[in-house]
Amino acid sequence: MKRVVTGNYAAAYGAKVCKPDVVAAYPITPQTFIVEHISEFVNDGEMDTQFVRMDSEHSAMSACVSASATGVRTFTATASQGLALMHEILFIASAQRLPVVMPVVNRTVAGPIGIWVEYNDTMPQRDTGWLQVYVEDNQEVLDMTIQAFKIAEDHDVLLPMMVNLDAFILSHTVEPVDLIEQEEVDRFLPPYDPIANLLPETPMAVGTFSPPEYIQEVRYQTDVAMRKAEAVIERVNREFAEQFGRDYHGMLEEYRTDDADVILVTLGTVTSTARAVVDRMREAGKKVGIVKLRFFRPYPLEQIREIASRVDAIGFYDRSVSYGVGGPSYIEGRHALYGYTIPVMNFLAGIGGRDVMSEDVELMFDMLLKAAKEGKAEKDIVWIGTRGVNP
Amino acid sequence: MDRNKGGEPVNIKELPDKELFTPGHTACPGCAAPIVMRHVMKIFGEKSVVYNPACCLLVFGGTYPWIAWEVPYNHVAFENTGACITGISRALKNIGRDDVTVLGIAGDGGTADIGFQALSGAAERNEDVVYIMYDNEAYMNTGIQRSGSTPYGAWTTTTPAGSKIKGKERFKKDMATIMLAHNVPYVATLNIAYPADFLRKLEKAKEMSGFRFLQIYAPCPTGWRADPNSAVDLSKLAVETGMWTLWEAENGKVTINKKPKFTPVKEYLDQQGRFRHFDDEQYGIIEQWVKDKWDKDEKMLTALGGD
Amino acid sequence: MYEIRFHGRGGQGAVMAAQSLAAAAFREGYYALAFPHFGAERRGAPVLAFARIAEGKIYEKTRVYHPNYVVVLDPVLPELVNVQDGLVEGGMAILNSPLQPDEVQLERSTDTATVDATTVALETLGSPITNSAILGAFAKATGLLKIESVEQGIIDIFGPRIGMDKAERNAKAAAAAYERTTTGTCTGGRSYEASKMWLPDIDELPIGMSTPKTQTDAGLVGIGSFVENHTGSWRTFVPNVDPEKCINCQMCWFYCPDAAVDRGEEVIGFNLDYCKGCGICANVCPVDAIEMRR
Repeated sequence: MKRVVTGNYAAAYGAKVCKPDVVAAYPITPQTFIVEHISEFVNDGEMDTQFVRMDSEHSAMSACVSASATGVRTFTATASQGLALMHEILFIASAQRLPVVMPVVNRTVAGPIGIWVEYNDTMPQRDTGWLQVYVEDNQEVLDMTIQAFKIAEDHDVLLPMMVNLDAFILSHTVEPVDLIEQEEVDRFLPPYDPIANLLPETPMAVGTFSPPEYIQEVRYQTDVAMRKAEAVIERVNREFAEQFGRDYHGMLEEYRTDDADVILVTLGTVTSTARAVVDRMREAGKKVGIVKLRFFRPYPLEQIREIASRVDAIGFYDRSVSYGVGGPSYIEGRHALYGYTIPVMNFLAGIGGRDVMSEDVELMFDMLLKAAKEGKAEKDIVWIGTRGVNP
Repeated sequence: MDRNKGGEPVNIKELPDKELFTPGHTACPGCAAPIVMRHVMKIFGEKSVVYNPACCLLVFGGTYPWIAWEVPYNHVAFENTGACITGISRALKNIGRDDVTVLGIAGDGGTADIGFQALSGAAERNEDVVYIMYDNEAYMNTGIQRSGSTPYGAWTTTTPAGSKIKGKERFKKDMATIMLAHNVPYVATLNIAYPADFLRKLEKAKEMSGFRFLQIYAPCPTGWRADPNSAVDLSKLAVETGMWTLWEAENGKVTINKKPKFTPVKEYLDQQGRFRHFDDEQYGIIEQWVKDKWDKDEKMLTALGGD
Repeated sequence: MYEIRFHGRGGQGAVMAAQSLAAAAFREGYYALAFPHFGAERRGAPVLAFARIAEGKIYEKTRVYHPNYVVVLDPVLPELVNVQDGLVEGGMAILNSPLQPDEVQLERSTDTATVDATTVALETLGSPITNSAILGAFAKATGLLKIESVEQGIIDIFGPRIGMDKAERNAKAAAAAYERTTTGTCTGGRSYEASKMWLPDIDELPIGMSTPKTQTDAGLVGIGSFVENHTGSWRTFVPNVDPEKCINCQMCWFYCPDAAVDRGEEVIGFNLDYCKGCGICANVCPVDAIEMRR
């Protein structure tokens, strides 16, 4: 059934149809409506879950971790400062191998305090052991919330996952979304089959204080799981596409890259704008294409290498900066492209929620085309639309 | 004033032999916390889940791959006991396991200081859990730093007895009364020197449902600079001097279980090296504090008394 | 470079001993460092501390695996742990022991020095804390550092922590121990149970470390497995019950932090596998039926 809904509604609806046993959450702008919609589902008897209105995001994530350790499906949602407050517990969720699912409405982390989209909330969490997917529209919010449970709970993975959606641009924007029926979701998503629990019939210790003799092996196991997640993501994507007819192409999606001279690697909603720009530039004879980087963890190292081998220049779009060295996507891309001699550029734009306009994206492509032609970028890291800074 | 209210009295000899918190744990000799844990587990039994935040008990009760707990056991972090036991309890609820008791067992720092918000939230929501604060009056796990529950004047490594400032300058935070203000079903203070009262309160907490808060006095000979054999003596003196009031509140009705004898506080303080630096002024301040505290406790009894 | 390993128990001050030795070496113009075996050991549990002494800057940041000297603060430890583990050829064991070196049996016969540091400490300090006295034995037995430097090293380290008066008394304990140290050779042939540790590889280690009770080659792990950790070795004092006096009230059983009291039909008994010797049982016994003995 298609309805015109917000990204926040799509996330809340996704939680509802995946039937988590425990939802522990705390409201924060611009995620608030997710919590409010779930409250309505629960109070109207449409959702059979233990919904706990927590006292903070730190407590929300803590409750999710312990609930998940007890052996049940668990969901929460947050944004920005809330995610930062959860930071400590994010590591514990992944180390205890608990497949908590969490939409994160990407919002700038203070200071200065702001409420608009920026990826400086989720990007700093990239080493916490959580899977991360960045989505482009509200349908993808719903579809990936559902897929997230199936990916995270897979026994090859057993890692928590965040579904990242842009503040306001998705969270508060309505667009038509196919609200998948419960029976369809039930057919797609098997019940959670935990490998551990906190039940008296099978007593075990989850979270024992550990000396160095064990922690390194735990880290290795988690690293292996993150690497194995790539195949699971691709498989779940195929299963989803077969059942629902929507193919998100797993780790990343290429758009008009076949004969492209240059490629821009995008994240989140900028992808949509870039699609339109690519179409226009193609009409003007410019051979540009985009790669929509969907998963940032795990990271499609080999795919990025393969794609870059086909082009003359590649650019990475970032909505957050690691001070002094460029954006996280760029840093990861540089790592992937070690040994490559083509120009590798970084475009920082939309920071703090500033709108990324079509002209901005066009400028990125033009700079890539110029670098491709000259075999060298004038400047590797480019701040787009920053007053007093010439791009 | 010595009365039993609710909860069957438990005879020591009737306690089961089985240790669900096993020996082999690595608590310092004479530590009171394992005495408490043994009997908590004897009362609550195998159908329990234990959550520990970071605290001495986390470490001496288990260092991977070994652990002293015989029941399902969980640790996540330091400041979130109230939240984690919420998660466990709600998970069990949704799969129909109302027969399992969820125990959050935290130290005084993890309760009165860093864990206070999560605790307050869980209490306000009236989560169906038992929260046990074993109160050894400082951060002992990290090597004796002051907590909100450290008494006035006590030496700790962060409140040294210096030439200008001698020991902690503020008084002990009254956690049980703060929890009473959360309108939860059961709040009690416990002390091992009174085994009948101690075991009865554990039984009471087990029988009831909703949020139950137990603050248990737990001497730490290492951190208090006391003899390793002194835990029970100090426990008794704490009650007799009025340093520790034994009371309980069932659905808001307060009962004081033992009126202090008002034994001079000095007798209690002088057995502990942490008060060694005390002069007459400091003895006086703590004596006055005991009087004021008892005043408050009695008024609370009058205001909120059951009978 | 000289590498030194200290064996003690939690609370005996092995770390301060190692630090004082480093301070003493520094006073003689050496470069020196001292560090604990970082752990969460509790009072009474066997612990290690390390020191390195060299002419120039020391770069090694690892633990000491092949000490030139081992220094043992606790008289019972050599019966429980192989203090000579990794001791280099020609190395020396410096022990707190009332015995002569040739009366001591260790794993192998090596140079050995003994001093009754506990008695020295009781006489000098009024308490059985041996972390200063044992350093006097080190100075005498090794000749590596002058006793005056060791005394000054003790004052440097102990002074700021426990006050100058007490630091000076500790320095005197070292000087007294220096005079009473005898050197010789210990006998070998004592066998030690190899310490077993469960070290699963990544395929065996449970995912998320969620560990039920499991029997392994190295013993029990997971839930309830601490029962195989025998803490009785921490004990200095041992409880003895007079069965004539015992009224079987079971207060000692109730109050034992280590569940080391067995409830019998008529009288109680002790499980010395776990008893840490705290003495609570003797203290709570209403008929004085329990006595703590060394």
